[in-house]
Amino acid sequence: MSRQLGRVVSQILNRYFGEIVEKVGNDLFMYGCKPMGMIIKSTGLPRTQVIESLRTLLKFDLATFEAKDVIVDYKLQPENILLLIRYPRYLLQMKTKYGSEAEMLVEELLQQASCTATVLIVSVMNKYKDDKEKNLNIVKLKDTFISLATAGYIQQAPVAEINNEIPVLVPVATIVPDLDVRELINAMNSNLNNVSDNIYWKVNYDRFHLDFRDEVMIKAVTRRIDDNAGELLKLMLEQMYLSSSSWASDSSPVPLTDLKDGCQRIGENMKNHVEQYLRVIEESTGFIRRTGDAGGGQYSVRIQHALIQLVEAVCDHTVTERLGGKAARIFRLIRSKKYLEEDDIQKNAMLPNKECKELTYKLLEEHFISVQPMRKTASAGGMAKAIYLYHVKLHDVAHVVRDMCYRSLHNVMSVSRHRRVLNARLLEKKRRVRTIVHGMRLRGEPQQNIDDVLDTLTPPEVTSAAEAERRLSTLAASELHLDRALFILTSYFTYQR
Amino acid sequence: MAAAVPELTSAELVAAINKLLQQGVFDLYNQGGSLLYRLKNQNSKQAIKGADNEEKVVYNLIEEAGNKGIWIRDIRIRSNLANTQLTKVLKSLEGKKVIKAVKCVNASKKKVYMLFNLEPDRSVSGGAWYQDQDFESEFVDILNRQCLRFLQQRADKIKNNPRGPIVGRTQSYATAAEVQKYITDLGISKVKLEVEDVITILNTLVYDGKAESNVYPDGNRVYRAIESLLPPPGLVQVPCGVCPLIHKCNSTGLITPQDCKYMDEWLEQ
Repeated sequence: MSRQLGRVVSQILNRYFGEIVEKVGNDLFMYGCKPMGMIIKSTGLPRTQVIESLRTLLKFDLATFEAKDVIVDYKLQPENILLLIRYPRYLLQMKTKYGSEAEMLVEELLQQASCTATVLIVSVMNKYKDDKEKNLNIVKLKDTFISLATAGYIQQAPVAEINNEIPVLVPVATIVPDLDVRELINAMNSNLNNVSDNIYWKVNYDRFHLDFRDEVMIKAVTRRIDDNAGELLKLMLEQMYLSSSSWASDSSPVPLTDLKDGCQRIGENMKNHVEQYLRVIEESTGFIRRTGDAGGGQYSVRIQHALIQLVEAVCDHTVTERLGGKAARIFRLIRSKKYLEEDDIQKNAMLPNKECKELTYKLLEEHFISVQPMRKTASAGGMAKAIYLYHVKLHDVAHVVRDMCYRSLHNVMSVSRHRRVLNARLLEKKRRVRTIVHGMRLRGEPQQNIDDVLDTLTPPEVTSAAEAERRLSTLAASELHLDRALFILTSYFTYQR
Repeated sequence: MAAAVPELTSAELVAAINKLLQQGVFDLYNQGGSLLYRLKNQNSKQAIKGADNEEKVVYNLIEEAGNKGIWIRDIRIRSNLANTQLTKVLKSLEGKKVIKAVKCVNASKKKVYMLFNLEPDRSVSGGAWYQDQDFESEFVDILNRQCLRFLQQRADKIKNNPRGPIVGRTQSYATAAEVQKYITDLGISKVKLEVEDVITILNTLVYDGKAESNVYPDGNRVYRAIESLLPPPGLVQVPCGVCPLIHKCNSTGLITPQDCKYMDEWLEQ
């Protein structure tokens, strides 16, 4: 809960929900949890607006509430607010894994926050009814919905349990529904209010995060060794889901024989060298570990260890880019030797004395390394000099880097907001022309008229609009990249708790 | 001594030894209470010819220190000479090119004295990486780069090797001796590099995160070029990740993201 987190959260709330929600969110972030009366007092907003904002926040799971006798305390969930910028990634994941139907379903569900299966499918259907390219069909949508529920990408929303006026949300186990296509078609043709479906669904972020975590690990092994090793790790992670809880720090061991069966399909090279690949992955990255000899050797995936390695890689890159390769050398040297004196750093890093000291102090200044003074006891005489041992506290460094990510994310978002405001008129005009032209094309009006409308945008306007759009898309892309780095760091912290 | 030369009486022996000691042919040592004698080698005797007593004492101390050298303070304490006198003696010995002063690498102000014809020890001169007590960082950088190039040439062998990844990895490993041969054949170094020197360079590569090292069954260290686990993360792809002013940047004030020059330049690209 740092100040930087507060800044970025406020920026995100502003972008997606506007200024009033931002104000309420800021107030909640600053004071932890707070009852409504206090929020109204400290923000100075009218009661209806505060209620409306809180409703929005609660709907999207961005805040929680807790009853204390008759007062209800509201609390912000900054982690969930950060997920808002991850939406494009969720959609991309859906599209690559289950096709565009799944993407549409998840997109709709993310926008609605939670809704019933019938409403979801029908509204997706209605939205893309006229779109010939998509060629939607209700049976296919229903099947996709069921497979998403089976795979756990969507889950049943918690149910409100009402006792003494203030409801409590109770999570429920997801039961994969059996949807009737006929009823869905009926619902589409009649009014949605008549539908008796009362099971609400929402997106299960956690399931997506597991996918992202696996993807990062597999990519890392592929980079370090080769594609086969990546495939093998993927197989092991699949096995892991069968036998142990998905966020366990170490998976339960898998016997080699089981892996061999799975390896048959990867390829000829893999089939013959499974053991060798396991050994190389173990020695080179430490993502897996041989835990026993039963069943031809037992192997487990060390998720926590893998995330430590990945966070180290993130920190290494950050140090390299900020302070240069030499500083990164010192950083890694200290990390690998645990505790090191200044003289030893210089000797091992092979750097000139002065430069080495300068870089070490810079690292210290930016909080990438810490120093542990070892004072001799007073009895050793007045001459006793303290020894300064340098070391790396990965947890602290990860905090520093995460804070930097928050800061950068805030900056990128505020620049993009600033640019959007600067070019608002231009972009708005372009959008309007585009809609008009689109409408004219649909109505089949002559090309001459369309060209006339298009000409209202002068060439300099077209170029500067294109330029502005290009910049905005660069900023949007870097938001996603920052989010990826943040994802690795956050997953690391979940294991440190 | 008395047992070695039985034909002399002890009085005669003492007289003879004293005379020889005065001439400086012998060295006298005290080991566990008994006295031991050693014949001095001929050159050192030549070198010291025509020197006075103080010079001889100082010379002996310096000679004893060997190629590690001896610090002026230690000479003063052990010879019991006054500071000014000692400086004079040392100057005169230096003038005769009998001894030399060498600057110590790990303490820049500290000078040590050793015999003129000796090559300073690695702990004093710093080995191959020092030229006149200055650390040659460019030289180290070049070697670092060359070693990496050598390792990278082999690194791809592990990828999809038809004979399995272990064989592939073994092929991509290089021992320090192989790297040393490669570096010597390149002829980029004027000084002769020992295997240990190359190992220190290879270790810097490991600390750079560009190589990993392993130990062969026969105890040899082997090295292999590796890729970082991750491509550069999003943080360093935006200007803020590398911005020196990131900690001073704020929503209001002189440095704000809206007016950021770095941001503008990045977006202009």
